[in-house]
Amino acid sequence: MALEATIMAPTERRRGLWSQMVKSRWAYAFISPFFILFLIFQFGPILFSVYLSVVNWKGLGAMEFVGLKNFTYLFGAGGKAFRQSVLNGFILFFMYVPIMTFLAIVLAVILNSEKVRGIKVYRTLIFTPYVTSMIAAGFTFRLLLEQKGGLFNIALEALGLPGVPWLESVWWARVSLCLLVVWGWLGYNMVLMLAGLQTIPRELTEAALIDGASPVQAFFRITIPLLRPVILFSVILSTMGSFGLFNELMALFYYTRGSGPMRATLTPVVHIYHEAFDNFRYGRASATAYVYFALIFVLAYLQNRYFGRED
Amino acid sequence: MTNLRSLATQIAVYSLLTLVAFFMILPFIWMLSTSFKPQDEIFRRPPILISPNMSLDGYRYIVDLGALRVLWNTFLIAFTSTALSLFFCTLGGYGFAKYRFPGRGALFAFLLGTMIIPSAVLMVPTYIIMLKLGWLDTYWPLIIPGAANAFGIFFMRQYISTISDELLDAARIDGCSEFGIFLRCILPICTPGLTTLGLIFFMNSWNNYLYPSIYLKSPDKFTLPLLMMQMQGPPGYSLYREWMGVAMVSVVPLLALFLIFQRRFTEGITAGAIR
Amino acid sequence: MKRLTALLITVVVLAGLAAACGPAPTPEVKVVKETVVVEKEKVVTQEVQVEVTKEVEVVVTPTPEPEAPKPTGKIVVWGWTAAIRDTIEASGVLADFQAEYPDIEVEIVYYAPSDVYTNLPLALTAGEGAPDVCLVENSHLAEYVHLGGLLDLTDRVQPYLDKMNEYKWYDCEKDGKYYCLPWDSGPVVMYYRRDVFEAAGLPTDPDEVSATIATWGDYLEACRTIKEKTGAYCFAHNKANNYGRLYEMVLWQQGLGYYDPDTGEVTADSPENIGTLEMLGQFWEEDLVSDALEWTDPWYAELGTVNLEDQPIATLIEASWMDVFLKSWIAPGTAGKWGVAYMPVVEEGGVRASNDGGSVFVIPEQSANPDAAWAFVEFCLGRRESQLKLFAISGFIPSLETTYDDPLFLEGDSFFAGQKTRKIYADVVAKIPRAGVYGPDYNMMNGAVQVAIQRYAAGEVTAEEGLKEAAAEIRANLE
Repeated sequence: MALEATIMAPTERRRGLWSQMVKSRWAYAFISPFFILFLIFQFGPILFSVYLSVVNWKGLGAMEFVGLKNFTYLFGAGGKAFRQSVLNGFILFFMYVPIMTFLAIVLAVILNSEKVRGIKVYRTLIFTPYVTSMIAAGFTFRLLLEQKGGLFNIALEALGLPGVPWLESVWWARVSLCLLVVWGWLGYNMVLMLAGLQTIPRELTEAALIDGASPVQAFFRITIPLLRPVILFSVILSTMGSFGLFNELMALFYYTRGSGPMRATLTPVVHIYHEAFDNFRYGRASATAYVYFALIFVLAYLQNRYFGRED
Repeated sequence: MTNLRSLATQIAVYSLLTLVAFFMILPFIWMLSTSFKPQDEIFRRPPILISPNMSLDGYRYIVDLGALRVLWNTFLIAFTSTALSLFFCTLGGYGFAKYRFPGRGALFAFLLGTMIIPSAVLMVPTYIIMLKLGWLDTYWPLIIPGAANAFGIFFMRQYISTISDELLDAARIDGCSEFGIFLRCILPICTPGLTTLGLIFFMNSWNNYLYPSIYLKSPDKFTLPLLMMQMQGPPGYSLYREWMGVAMVSVVPLLALFLIFQRRFTEGITAGAIR
Repeated sequence: MKRLTALLITVVVLAGLAAACGPAPTPEVKVVKETVVVEKEKVVTQEVQVEVTKEVEVVVTPTPEPEAPKPTGKIVVWGWTAAIRDTIEASGVLADFQAEYPDIEVEIVYYAPSDVYTNLPLALTAGEGAPDVCLVENSHLAEYVHLGGLLDLTDRVQPYLDKMNEYKWYDCEKDGKYYCLPWDSGPVVMYYRRDVFEAAGLPTDPDEVSATIATWGDYLEACRTIKEKTGAYCFAHNKANNYGRLYEMVLWQQGLGYYDPDTGEVTADSPENIGTLEMLGQFWEEDLVSDALEWTDPWYAELGTVNLEDQPIATLIEASWMDVFLKSWIAPGTAGKWGVAYMPVVEEGGVRASNDGGSVFVIPEQSANPDAAWAFVEFCLGRRESQLKLFAISGFIPSLETTYDDPLFLEGDSFFAGQKTRKIYADVVAKIPRAGVYGPDYNMMNGAVQVAIQRYAAGEVTAEEGLKEAAAEIRANLE
């Protein structure tokens, strides 16, 4: 077919293309549901959202064209909440992603070796939080972090340390959120790393150890570099995750509708939700969502560019 | 891995594992324990694990509130959306895996690209579209849009590409229609993959909060996360025990599913990472 | 033939003329109408005439105002349990309504206030799913009035315009049209614990308390004394999650607010506003207030503490509707220990009144049964008897001023050691000043100022910096 295509005349080639397409009509039929739904529920909304972002609309009444005002607003005095949410995304990212990723790798390495007993049990236990609704988990953490009678403070005080205002102070609120997120996602990341480890042939590390390297050295020089693609994948997911935290915030910080004390834990997604469904500023919410999208895209691109395949 | 493990390393390793495992389990234990405790024992010092005044009052309260109905709603939505999604994603995956057609590469790359669109961008306009369609306060927005989603198609394509072509050709020779091949050959073979993907879809739908909160308004249509959030708020004492009751109702079914199908779960999530 | 046709035509024409000009088959309705509506004298003269030719009964009795039949059908009412279940239903007003309008079916859906404020605007903008009657607090009312989608009730509320507290109408009016019927007002008073005051050496009689604690300066002194002598906190004022309600009450008392109600100019960072916040900050600095957040368990706990040794909270500045909450489930064990005094003023000579809350009923435009909906709303809130019944069972002081002369207001309340609290509520209600606190953008303004208060309380910014930032945010938002 391909050979024929190259020596055919242009019109004949086109007819060849068309007949190929007709021949493959079943394939097109099979993949069409995705593209139809995409057009209706993703592409359409994206276009509509572009239009929305340049108007002022409360859902009722006229849409008032305001040009780029919704975007400039984000960089002016009114956009404080949004800028804070972006800052929070970065802060939260650095607070929990390095630790969580590292811990996930370590745990994966441990559970990958055959020398540990009860691997299956540990793996199950550590992965269990992933199947839990983060709302349910958030509520439970609220109980545990309750300042006066929560288990965590009781434990701290039993050790002679003062209780901590887990959910009331700016930084402790962030810590509490990180605790919840790590709890929910560590198992998932650990399993990712486990799968990645299974692609690394044992002989490599064994050879290094025979050559006199310590396990720690082998770990850092061989395992981690070879895990790079998986680590990158995990980190990119975590980036999108830290800017997109929603359920966790709504459950932990109910009194401030997810913002946290003094907006300490506000994330861009929660902010967009507020703009749209609490303040009824559909235009502004759309514009904010676009800026957010651009931000995420740039971050993912940069991460891929600098930490992606270098070998 | 080395054969020699010093005692120190062993202690370190097992301590770490136990600590982490304990931290993971703690909330579940506390959830269970609190759901049976009367109000004044919840924050007692020293903490009580098994309450001497254990009672089912918390559960009775939430059943009166309609928790069983909500449980059914959650199940209905999860089941329907999973079944629909499995069908269309397998179909699409089959199309990409086993057919050669013009534009296949480009279309597939495009499909992958759509995975990066964060749902926050679609939140507002999709809501307005649903409003115009009259789908507010119905289950359709939770079932239809995700029916043929990029992740599912990607996953099934990987899976189906491992099926040998001869099998399919044989079926064609036997006179099977294309769609018939799909129904009679592909679907049955894919059962393990379907189970995995199905579990993931089911879990995501079950635990979803953002979209149900935007689209569902009548209390009798709520899902479990919505019920939990709605039980808050003044005026009144915080119903900690009842919250934990709903949390248990939400968590236990998925936990059960997970324990039965463990391997499938973990297979599912690694599919995306390893290319 | 021609003659027959001509005869037929004549007959037809005559018959037609007869029908058109002769007395209509049942004219008594028409005649009676004219009789009643036009002039009284005519009744006498016509009565005689009609009596002669037609049946008597219909003519003699004056027809009641609604010539139209009573509304029927089903209506859906949204509201929170404290107001609907524990007040409208429990007081018997709902039963009275059903007796009067047996053909109207009322379905009640209980929503917490926050759920109402999520679901109502969504339903209004979606054009479907809204109830026929909805309970809304004044704080959020203006926003929905300006959003659109509420039924214009101007004609129906005409008779009530001068019978309700004047300030209640500001939030439900737009371009000269009215969109609500007010229920209750939120006159702010100072609740205080007599036993704590006694232990601190302060007077316990309400009049004396009002005289001793007349200004916030006096209040500061009293709080110091209470802390010194009893160790108890003066009132609750949370830092990290502060809602700004107390701040708003004090602003309102001075006729200040987030904006100027006449010019619309944002005043959130005016020197007076800053001064007010700093004045409240003084109490934080001297550790005279507890950190309980309103409507959470610790707050309920300190209000409900019975014994002096356990250090109950000494005072509570809140609106009159708080008393039924205290009595019924927050602090029933403290019956007899409370008293009600006037709230202190910031500047001497200021009016000792402010407002917090207060609700109304609105009717969404999409209601399929506006007449039945209005019947319900008017019956519950427009009738003196209904409002009195609602008030008797709760602290929701009616905005309907015609109720204020009822002996109910002179009754003593045992929860307050027999004090005639209702008199005070009515007195304060009449003096509530005009202030720019509630309005179409209340949610946004309150949100911005909340953060400023929280940051100020945490010591991150000065009151001036915090409020200037908040005001900038508000101004940017309003453009």
